[in-house]
Amino acid sequence: MTADPTLVRSLDDPDLMVQTPATIYDAIPPYPPRTEREAEFYAMGDGEMLINIGPQHPSTHGVLRVVLKIDGERVVDLDPVLGYLHRGVEKICENGDWHHAISNCDPLEYIASMFSEAMPVLVAEKLLDLEVPRRAEYIRVLAWELNRIASHMLFIGWLALDLGGLTPILYGFIERDEIVEMLAALTGQRLLFNYLRIGGVNGDLNHEFLSRLGDWMSHALKRADDESKLLNSNEIFVHRTRGLGVIDRDMARRTCLTGPPLRATGIPYDVRRAHPYSVYPELEFDIPTREEGDSYARYLLHLDEIKQSIHIIDQVLGKMPDGPVMAKVPRLLRVPPGRAYIAIESPRGQYSCFGMSDGSDQPFRLRIHDPSYFNLQAVGLLMPGHLIADTMAIMASLDPIMGGIDK
Amino acid sequence: MSIITRPWSRMTLAGKIILPLLLLFVLLNILIVAGQMTGVLPVLVNGLFQVINDNVDIFRFIGAVTALLLFTVPAAFVIIFMEMKLIAFINLRLGPNRQGPWGVLSSTLHGFKVLAKEDFTPTGADVPVFTLAPVVTYLGAVMTIMVIPFAPGLFGLDMNLGLLYFFAVAGLGVIGLMMGGWSSFNKYSLLGGLRAAAAIISYEIPLTLAVVGVIMLTGTMSLNAIVLRQSGSFIDWFAFQQPLAFIIFFIAATAEGGRTPFDLTEADSEIVAGFATEYSGMRFGFFFFAEYVNLFILSALMVTLFLGGWNAPLDIQPLLDWLHITVNSAIDPGSLGIGLLWIILLVPPLAILAVTLPIWMIKSKWSFLKAFIVGFVIVNVIGGAILAVWAYITFPFVAGLFWFFGKAFTMVALFVIMRGTLPRVRIDELMGFAWKWLIPAALLNLFVTAGALLVLQAR
Repeated sequence: MTADPTLVRSLDDPDLMVQTPATIYDAIPPYPPRTEREAEFYAMGDGEMLINIGPQHPSTHGVLRVVLKIDGERVVDLDPVLGYLHRGVEKICENGDWHHAISNCDPLEYIASMFSEAMPVLVAEKLLDLEVPRRAEYIRVLAWELNRIASHMLFIGWLALDLGGLTPILYGFIERDEIVEMLAALTGQRLLFNYLRIGGVNGDLNHEFLSRLGDWMSHALKRADDESKLLNSNEIFVHRTRGLGVIDRDMARRTCLTGPPLRATGIPYDVRRAHPYSVYPELEFDIPTREEGDSYARYLLHLDEIKQSIHIIDQVLGKMPDGPVMAKVPRLLRVPPGRAYIAIESPRGQYSCFGMSDGSDQPFRLRIHDPSYFNLQAVGLLMPGHLIADTMAIMASLDPIMGGIDK
Repeated sequence: MSIITRPWSRMTLAGKIILPLLLLFVLLNILIVAGQMTGVLPVLVNGLFQVINDNVDIFRFIGAVTALLLFTVPAAFVIIFMEMKLIAFINLRLGPNRQGPWGVLSSTLHGFKVLAKEDFTPTGADVPVFTLAPVVTYLGAVMTIMVIPFAPGLFGLDMNLGLLYFFAVAGLGVIGLMMGGWSSFNKYSLLGGLRAAAAIISYEIPLTLAVVGVIMLTGTMSLNAIVLRQSGSFIDWFAFQQPLAFIIFFIAATAEGGRTPFDLTEADSEIVAGFATEYSGMRFGFFFFAEYVNLFILSALMVTLFLGGWNAPLDIQPLLDWLHITVNSAIDPGSLGIGLLWIILLVPPLAILAVTLPIWMIKSKWSFLKAFIVGFVIVNVIGGAILAVWAYITFPFVAGLFWFFGKAFTMVALFVIMRGTLPRVRIDELMGFAWKWLIPAALLNLFVTAGALLVLQAR
């Protein structure tokens, strides 16, 4: 969608400012349309009105703003507005050295930051051609899978909360809190862990972490079943999510979906199996898929993935080797010049990064591909034609995290 | 003036409250003595009694209205606290536990907080409509309490068209919601108000149709007569004679009260707070109280119509007759003479000592004061319980109030549990459910009841 040069006008041209004081609270932008699409969207038909969902709204995830054009309760068209959380993380990463990039990338995926902080780490290791100790690799997998469960638990709670259920979000938070406390014992932080290092991890497993993990593992599967019982047999929940926001395989390929929304359409694409990294080839696990591609399928898929993650953690604890957790890496790290691309499977899909180094101690360029951004594209195709209540359920079932979308 | 203002400004808060009251008290005393000496006061008092005697119905009505208006706010506080605690229990949380024992004061303090907040009117709002909307909603809720019989002889007004009055006045509430939604100059409010109108007007129909079966069985619309018709044991309740009507009424009442799963009017994840988005301060408080008063009233109406009102679930009178037991709990205090004074003087201290001393002896580490306090509490609890049982047996209205509030709050708890467990339905599902399922079911119930009545009367 390229900008039409005849439509692009200067923003401070006083003749072209929209002079409508009554619409100061309207969603219409205070400048003339800059693209054909904007002109089409903000031209109102008969009986239509614009309504802002976000950036301050009880149910938007983060600071996503969606301008809905509605006719009564039915959504006619929508215009997602991004950028309310833009910090320029990729640029900031170029100004610090490679170690600083780890903590800068942490808040990108703030629900599961163990994945986003792996980006500069894995790129630097690939450029350095570094051999990471096996114990460190196993600890990374352990931390990743724990974080995946914590993230998925919140997904289920959010979906129910956006449909009006009060209780599942709190059950999800109980489970997440146990995991977060566990990871806090391991890393010292509850949310932005800053735990992975180039060449290993920051610290070895300690006693408190292991005892908490043991406590949690004894009831993890039962808790996941309990949480699902509250919603699986709930007639209203099933009725509202089944057949809602159906993504077929073709649409999933066109919109570059990855992660659970893609696997819910029946395509078994998971980076852990498709392009194996770390020690995943040594572990046994399935890639759960669903055929329906609707919100309910995505919900069930998250439940299945929680069980697979618990299965992986079981194996990791059994196979955990002895040894160091950190390779020998110089304090002033000069990464050899070159380019590298790495990808891992985050709770929301393929989290990948393209990095360049010019041989100095700073990254020359880090381009981070966030799955939430691409999953969010489906919103524009799914929402029109639904009621306002359903837009929330569709958005929650795609599970966007604005930290990574706005970067 | 400083001779007055300086001591006044140095007084404590308690002094500032007590001093004017003291002056008022002295002034009143002087007036009363003067009135007695001149003979004006007895004439005035006699005249007042005469007026009350002549217009006893009007004064009874005014008294009832005042009592019911004063009753609504505490009832809403109790329900809000109950909801906070019950939902916390469902969510595996602690809930309010800081304000007072078990947090019982939290909802009251919420009320004061709402009073203290800024009363905000948005730019572009239609100010008169915006101001009147919460009042209309609140009045619509409160005025319906008038016809609900709480206990034998304890009701505001025994209308022969009580049910019709109830539905007519309860329908006013939705006008307030629409007024709030329209006048707020906010699209979320507008959507909320229109949703409220659509949902509540749709659900009025099954709600009213479900009640028609009960009206046909009793032949009257007076709520008092409907409760009297259900006296006996629980088999006589209309919930067992009209089970389908009861279920329809329960579902429709959930939508009518705007409760989960039909709380689309203020669906916070979709339209922020619906019609109440732009309201703050006590105006919001009116909406908030109206919602909970409405919840209580719908529960009370459900109890009145289908669950036997004030009647106990089991009538033990036949059992007592069969066992030849007669309960005579009437006490004439006058017959005791001066002995009454001795009982009042001696029984409480002796009872407290009789409980305290064993405690003090067993718990040797306790001080006497601690044992005394524990004994005092125990005696008061036991005494209160004895008094309550005696009142329950002696006065029928105490027993009636006990059963009525017990049943009504059980129904309220049911609504609260539904809120803790169910998600929300969509607006088209909501409307479809009313028009495709509830109204046909209510009509079916109506035809079956009418047919059964015809057959029974023809025999």
